[in-house]
Amino acid sequence: MRRNILFYTALVVCLISFKQLKAQTQNVTVSGTIIDKTTKSAFPGVTINLEKPFKALIQSGVDGHFTVTVPANSTLVFSFIGYISQREVVKPGQKNMIVIMSEDQKALKEVIIVAYQKRDKETTAGAVATISGKEIQDVPVSNVEQLLQGKVAGLNIQNNTGAPGFRGSVQIRGLSTLSVSGSGSESFLQPTSPLYIIDGVPLDADKAAEFGFQTQGPGISPLSLIPQEDVESIQVLKDAQATAMYGSRGAYGVIIITTKRGNSKIPRVRYTTNFFVNAPPKLRETLGGNSERRAKIQQILLNAQNISDIRKIDQTPFLSDSLNAYWNNSTDWQSIFYTTTYNQTHNLALDGGDQRFNYKANMGLYSEKGVIKNTGFDRYNLSMNMEFKPNDKFRFFGSIYGSLGKQQKGDGVGLLQQGVATNGQASTLLPPPSFYQASGGTVSALKTLNDNSSRNIRANVDGRYEFIPGLALSSSISYDYTSDGESTFTPAAANGQFAKVYDYVGRNFTLYNRNNLTYSKTFADNHNIFINTFNEIYKQGAQAGITRQERTPNDQLQGPLGFDSYNSRGGGVLSNYKNATIASFAGSFTYDFKKKYVAELSYRLDGTSSNGLENPYSKNPSVGLRWNFNKENWFEKKSWLSYGSLRLTWGQNIVPTGSLKSIYGIYDLNGNFNNNPTIGINYDFIPNPSLKPKTTTQYNLGFDFGFWNDKLTINFDTYYKKVDNELFDRYLANSTGFLRITSNDVGIANYGYELMITGRVVATKDFTWTVSANGAINRDVLLKLPAEYNGQYIRFDDSPYKQHVVFRVGRNTLSNFLLINQGVFSRDGDVPVDPVTGKRYQTNGIPFLGGDPKFKDVNGDYVLDSRDYEIAGNSQPLITGGLSTNIIYKKFGLNIYATFTAKRTILNNALADRFAIMRDPYAQQAVVPLNNLDIWRQQGDNTKYPTPYDYARYGQIQPLRADQTLWAEEGSYLKINNVTFSYMFDRNFVRRFGFNNVRVYFSTNNLVTISGYSGPNPENVTSLGRDVSSGYPVPRTYNLGLNIELNTGN
Amino acid sequence: MEFKKFKLFEQMKPTIRKEFIFLLFAALITGGCRKIFDLPKEKDYLSNNINFSNKIFEPILGRTNLMGGFNADNSTMPMKFEIVNARFGDGRPVTDLFQKAPTYVWTTAYNGLEKSLEEIEAKRKLEEHALFEIRSSGEFIMWASANNSLIKPRPADSTNFPQDTRYFDLKITNSGGQTVIKDLQVRPWRERPYEPSNDMNLYTGGPAPDPDFPNNPNTRDYIRPFMSNVIGDATDVNLGTNDDENDVIVYIRPFTGGNGHSLRFKVLNKDSVAINPAAFNETKWDKLVHGFNMQKTTEYVQYDVAYPIPLVEVPTAYAPGGSRAHAELKYSRIGFGGGRVVATFGIDFAIYKKGDWEIVFHFKKDNPKFQND
Repeated sequence: MRRNILFYTALVVCLISFKQLKAQTQNVTVSGTIIDKTTKSAFPGVTINLEKPFKALIQSGVDGHFTVTVPANSTLVFSFIGYISQREVVKPGQKNMIVIMSEDQKALKEVIIVAYQKRDKETTAGAVATISGKEIQDVPVSNVEQLLQGKVAGLNIQNNTGAPGFRGSVQIRGLSTLSVSGSGSESFLQPTSPLYIIDGVPLDADKAAEFGFQTQGPGISPLSLIPQEDVESIQVLKDAQATAMYGSRGAYGVIIITTKRGNSKIPRVRYTTNFFVNAPPKLRETLGGNSERRAKIQQILLNAQNISDIRKIDQTPFLSDSLNAYWNNSTDWQSIFYTTTYNQTHNLALDGGDQRFNYKANMGLYSEKGVIKNTGFDRYNLSMNMEFKPNDKFRFFGSIYGSLGKQQKGDGVGLLQQGVATNGQASTLLPPPSFYQASGGTVSALKTLNDNSSRNIRANVDGRYEFIPGLALSSSISYDYTSDGESTFTPAAANGQFAKVYDYVGRNFTLYNRNNLTYSKTFADNHNIFINTFNEIYKQGAQAGITRQERTPNDQLQGPLGFDSYNSRGGGVLSNYKNATIASFAGSFTYDFKKKYVAELSYRLDGTSSNGLENPYSKNPSVGLRWNFNKENWFEKKSWLSYGSLRLTWGQNIVPTGSLKSIYGIYDLNGNFNNNPTIGINYDFIPNPSLKPKTTTQYNLGFDFGFWNDKLTINFDTYYKKVDNELFDRYLANSTGFLRITSNDVGIANYGYELMITGRVVATKDFTWTVSANGAINRDVLLKLPAEYNGQYIRFDDSPYKQHVVFRVGRNTLSNFLLINQGVFSRDGDVPVDPVTGKRYQTNGIPFLGGDPKFKDVNGDYVLDSRDYEIAGNSQPLITGGLSTNIIYKKFGLNIYATFTAKRTILNNALADRFAIMRDPYAQQAVVPLNNLDIWRQQGDNTKYPTPYDYARYGQIQPLRADQTLWAEEGSYLKINNVTFSYMFDRNFVRRFGFNNVRVYFSTNNLVTISGYSGPNPENVTSLGRDVSSGYPVPRTYNLGLNIELNTGN
Repeated sequence: MEFKKFKLFEQMKPTIRKEFIFLLFAALITGGCRKIFDLPKEKDYLSNNINFSNKIFEPILGRTNLMGGFNADNSTMPMKFEIVNARFGDGRPVTDLFQKAPTYVWTTAYNGLEKSLEEIEAKRKLEEHALFEIRSSGEFIMWASANNSLIKPRPADSTNFPQDTRYFDLKITNSGGQTVIKDLQVRPWRERPYEPSNDMNLYTGGPAPDPDFPNNPNTRDYIRPFMSNVIGDATDVNLGTNDDENDVIVYIRPFTGGNGHSLRFKVLNKDSVAINPAAFNETKWDKLVHGFNMQKTTEYVQYDVAYPIPLVEVPTAYAPGGSRAHAELKYSRIGFGGGRVVATFGIDFAIYKKGDWEIVFHFKKDNPKFQND
């Protein structure tokens, strides 16, 4: 055996050497085509070099074609940025050659952007994940963020609203705030979105949410204004070392979006279009017409307490007057508000150029109508950029983005459609909308004219000059201007016979400048240093005003004349006025030895006007260490390990959270003294000049492994993140004269683990199959509260829901404070008796009986009251992650993306509200069938839900009250969000019609959710885990899309 | 191919061990997060504002007193309550409060539908309890077994000197810590075996003064019944009872010769001679009180009852309001003009002490008129 091997080897060597001898003599002219492996299309602009002697030959043409004349047996090197260079030996006499270029998927060789500088991933220590723009193309969405869900471990995205143009909630590595606003179902966590940097320009994604979630302010999140087709790559920076240099707002993580650059010798024209159908989810079942009436009358007859209850049936015409045409209907109210919509998007991209000079223009149109009528989102945008790099010393980049987003919110606030929810529950006996309206709510929901628009223009220039090799100065200036307008016209029929006009006009701008000085140098071949220093200045401003005209003359004249000036309001500047400056200085130093041992140090100084006078500057240091141990000698020969590294980082970041009011106080005009107006401080809160910005400190330990030539890659990170100086109101003793002070005395810690595994199961010429899974476990712990609270603070909910939120030190930060439901009393005799007084366990003076819920009597006084609440649950998910599989077989492609969320408590208020419809059978509300639910019906039943039919005692017992753990359900789910099936037409075929490439695909979004949750959708809940019945349902989307590339070459 | 695979495996072996070390290292770092970063442990919440809305407890001896007012300020239950340092104001230790005595506790709900005394007794049992206790809800209990002889009530001269007042501190503990509420006071009222007790001096137990002449020792206050349409036999006017006119008064008093748990109703005329209960022809004798074995004589009506009356303060047929039993005597006659007039009188009462009690309605000035007009 061994002898045979030796023999064959010798033979091959001989043959090769013979050929080489011969090659010295002749030249070969070979022509060929270069093909992109993924798209199976011609690959223009590939540089072709001769390997030895090194010589640049030519670039491939627009059809991927090339012809070269080289000595026989010489090696050609085909290279293109982001692709694996291919080597091909030209054999004597060879005429044709087909070269297949495949993308360089080597995770570690990636170039990432850290602190505005492109860096080798190998030499940075931070926890960074990159998503290619290709992964987010085939499903049309109004907000590109939706598609990041489940793609990066530790990036928890909950697409919790189906309202077009709105954002879900985004958290990187857990909870960063405990600031809750609103009440009842509509209480929301302050959004802590990461900092988004689009082509080097930071922007605030939470902009439209500055008034909190439920009162979504006018304007549209800038993220909804970016067309997904224009995205080249998205990079998620998770740990403090990666984000430390971003300073302000970097504390919530950083997401860097890079848009496409021109990259083709021959101008390319590419067109993408999608036609998609949004289908509303399954709606609530309702009894219609006569069966509703019968159900109500039966409920009354069986549960009436006295004769007057039964007589009341006669006095309620809609129950008794069944022959009256007005009460004799069967109206499906939900179908009046919910509908299936047909939508489209178009995007035209034009680009060209090479690395010296390139340009790109992108035009897009996105139009989506919401599944709730009278809502929708349209986006128009045009963006252009150009890059000029005449030589290696100088680079200039300029871009301009213009976009217009138009949103219709109907009469709701977008995320919540209270009017629709209320009217969707109306009795089916009422007549459907017609000339005569049974309720103004229908008109209000369907005929309110709402136009919420954002016009955004963003320009950015960026120049770089390298004075001496290694030393470069670059400067970037950007200006971002957004004008927001929202106008709402409410017709008279929807507003008590008086039309109403509301108008909001706001503008905000950010002027941003950054100047970088970088120096890189290699000493003695092995020692590399990189120094990056920069300063940054933000100048931000915002101003807005509202006009509200009441009682305008009629529905045709929508202002501005003829309103009732007594009731109307307007003028002035709203409290979101902003004039802020942030100045920062940052520097980092990186050293690596043979790219094996890497050490990074950075320091950033942020001065913001929203810090207290005594702490104007906040200091953000970071340290990172990386060990690429696969470069150690003992791994050198281990071919199964393609890379392996160990990362350890520590860093600190801030978010300015204070406001000028909290630092300086509010000063009011307090009337006159000696005929002079006096100004005095507002005693509501005392100014706090030592207010500090919110600070996060993070430790991160990570491992990266690549096995068997990157067939299997594993990333593991574990972190500890501490959020300090969270704002919290402290109430003061009244002897101070002030009510409260805004202080920094809250701390939260998050710790967790993140794992990403990608396996390239099959990778052959015709068939590739990749499977990837990621997941993160995040636990949060409340570290401290102001001392006087002694470790617990309850945020009481004054709404009828009474779903209080409790913060307790040492526990997960956001817990519910609820009555503990322990089942249902099966019989009257099961109700415990107070041994002292002999009275039954009671509430509101009424003893419990069989069929009533069994609440835990926490304090043991045999009375259920506000003292029987207990801490329960965690509204934040413990585990989040995603799964994906991508299959390419010849010209077919199949991508499936799934996400999962596990271990979180959802309060199913939707079910509570649904049950509560039974509270009053005399009310003009629909009846929902409860047959399929486990409810108590007679003595001896052991059930989950108490009886909902006993309306007479309902007011006192409140068996279905929202503030009980009966509604607290496990909100784990696995959602298959996207399935894309694509087909690439044969190139020769489509060329006949003048196309270079045609690809057609069918995709779906939000396809199926697998969950044990009893509500419709465990994801469609607020950030505090409340399933709001007035929430906007997440539609299921079916899409047919087309990519066309025109044949612009010869 | 076989050979190749084997070789790969061989190569892997030594490094797997190194990998294992890495993982071990990782597990060490991550697993110990709570310890390394010194994360606080969850503790029960013990508010700084735990207190009682009223720190002076004034139970009435001889009946079950449940005294609330504890404000835990949402501190985590269960908490451990401990009465410590019980003393009189002059430093003498207090022990009488903590004597043990058998007392009734309820095991099943009383609803007024019980058919026999045994059925009632089956719903409660005797247990040994300290006379004065605190239970898990932070409510204090002075059990019904505490009487004037076991606990000395407040002085008869109505003074409130510290040396006569029982003080104690309350130690409250949960896993969040411990706090002590100081100087809670107990000032028991002497027993009032029945209600209404306006005929009794609350300090001395003697007769209460006449509200119209509080300084006249020769007159006294009486319990008054409710009444309507009762017409005087001689005067032919409506009889009334209030502070000024005492046409009818009520005595709630023990009698001798009973079985120890009986209740007797009796009506006396102006000569203090018993009126035959049969005269009160409209009275629902079987619903007069939740009693059994009714004995109806020409002088009285007597029942075997379970004390206290009412047994539990819940609305029943016998005690519509819950806290007082409602006893109503009725008779009818043809009134002036030929219409039938129903005359009623009676009393809403409570009796706390087990014994043989009689409720006597005394027509002091004029007898009720039974004849038709």
